Amino acid sequence: MIHRLPEEKIQISAEQAQAQSEALFNSIGDGAITTDEFGKITRINPVGLKILGYAEKDLIGEWFPKKIIALNERDESINLIDRPITRAFLTGQPVSEKMHYRKKNGDILPVSISISPILFGGKPIGAIEVFRDITIEEEIDRMKSEFISLASHQLRTPLSAIKTYSHMLVDGYMGETTTAQKKSLRTIIAATNRMNELISTLLNITRIESGTIAVSPKNIHLYRACDEVIKELNLAANEKSISLTLKKKGAATTTVKTDNLIIKEVITNLVSNAIKYTSEDGHIEVSVQGKTNDVVFSVRDNGWGIPKESHSQVFTKFFRAQNTVKRETTGTGLGLYLVQGLLERLGGKIWFESEEGVGTIFYVSLPRNSPTLRSIK
Amino acid sequence: MANILVVEDDKDLNNAYCIILSNEGHTVSSAFDGQEALEKVKTFEPQLILLDLLMPIMGGLEFLQHFDLKSHKKVKVLIFTNMENSPEVAEAYKLGAHRCIIKSWTAPHNLARVIKEAIENDSAEVTA
Repeated sequence: MIHRLPEEKIQISAEQAQAQSEALFNSIGDGAITTDEFGKITRINPVGLKILGYAEKDLIGEWFPKKIIALNERDESINLIDRPITRAFLTGQPVSEKMHYRKKNGDILPVSISISPILFGGKPIGAIEVFRDITIEEEIDRMKSEFISLASHQLRTPLSAIKTYSHMLVDGYMGETTTAQKKSLRTIIAATNRMNELISTLLNITRIESGTIAVSPKNIHLYRACDEVIKELNLAANEKSISLTLKKKGAATTTVKTDNLIIKEVITNLVSNAIKYTSEDGHIEVSVQGKTNDVVFSVRDNGWGIPKESHSQVFTKFFRAQNTVKRETTGTGLGLYLVQGLLERLGGKIWFESEEGVGTIFYVSLPRNSPTLRSIK
Repeated sequence: MANILVVEDDKDLNNAYCIILSNEGHTVSSAFDGQEALEKVKTFEPQLILLDLLMPIMGGLEFLQHFDLKSHKKVKVLIFTNMENSPEVAEAYKLGAHRCIIKSWTAPHNLARVIKEAIENDSAEVTA
């Protein structure tokens, strides 16, 4: 037998639920905004109002994407299609991101947001966003990065002394050394080089993550930049009897306006990786091709390849494929993570094809004009 | 052969560069911070200054601001630092530095070669 609740009780329950929801919403320690299915703001809690500097009447009924201005790291407005609220509505999935919001008084503040569509019968009937001012966290991050940067620099000074004096001994500045002594000194030099590489990677990663890497675009010939890197790395390739060649595809110029140091770091990482993960007597080919709006270069090797199950993790921090770890090759798993981060700063893209036991080809496309990015520091 | 002023706060490195450059036949003088370097340039008249950036008392950038390369057109400054790809290096170029060399990557024979090129090449080519 079904007992129906009297109309009055239903009314009280609904009001209680409403009051509970209101109390819950208003007591959220972060900013919270809800919208209807059209993206119009229906509610915002006191913390949200305080963070953004608005009064409730300024926002209620307003279209969220228009009123809450979101900016990217270059302080440019984020397109509607790329706004988390749009993506949450389109996919029906929650979206979490870091971005900047413009306050009512024009100030810009970094925020971490998480927005979820409110689904009813599988369809979005609104959205709720929770956001938090992360100015202090960002400041701590920046201080941490500065500390790492300084610590790395301080580590390099004694390393430079070890390397310089070892070289001076090998080169005979302090008198003749025996063949065995020279061999030992070269081992010391090689070890300091490895340590330097590690410090470089660490420094670059902290700079990318803290936004303190500056991009200073100048006109460079990408073919020439590849040629210079290959000349530097030929010795390492020769040691494994690997042939390292450079080709230019097509007649179009390979001139790009980009940051010379950063792009060389990218090429060096990709070619060094190819040398590291290719067996003796292997082949590596770097080719460069100018296209209408961009220049593409690729690094192809016939090395060990990347197992298919690892393809999605290749650009993640500290990733190393199982088939490389087993062969005990030195590596930190930071190189490709760094390369991707550097290319993002240059407005470039990277992708790859790989088959285990056959080889790998990495492609990089660079826009003819990289955006100038000031460092935040 | 040239008059070269080595400005480097690390005594071991400063000493090493002086040995390398003297061996190449240059006349070398050394300073351990920017302020000492400003004093030295008054009497030593270097054609080339090998300049570290991070130093106590007065760093390399502050030295460049005081020294004013525009009024010392015949003097070339090679930045010798471990702060690769940093805003400080970009600033040093703006202040007229000729070239930047990364200490920890540069073997003595390369340092000697780069210095020889800088002395022989009077056009102010700027490469990193």
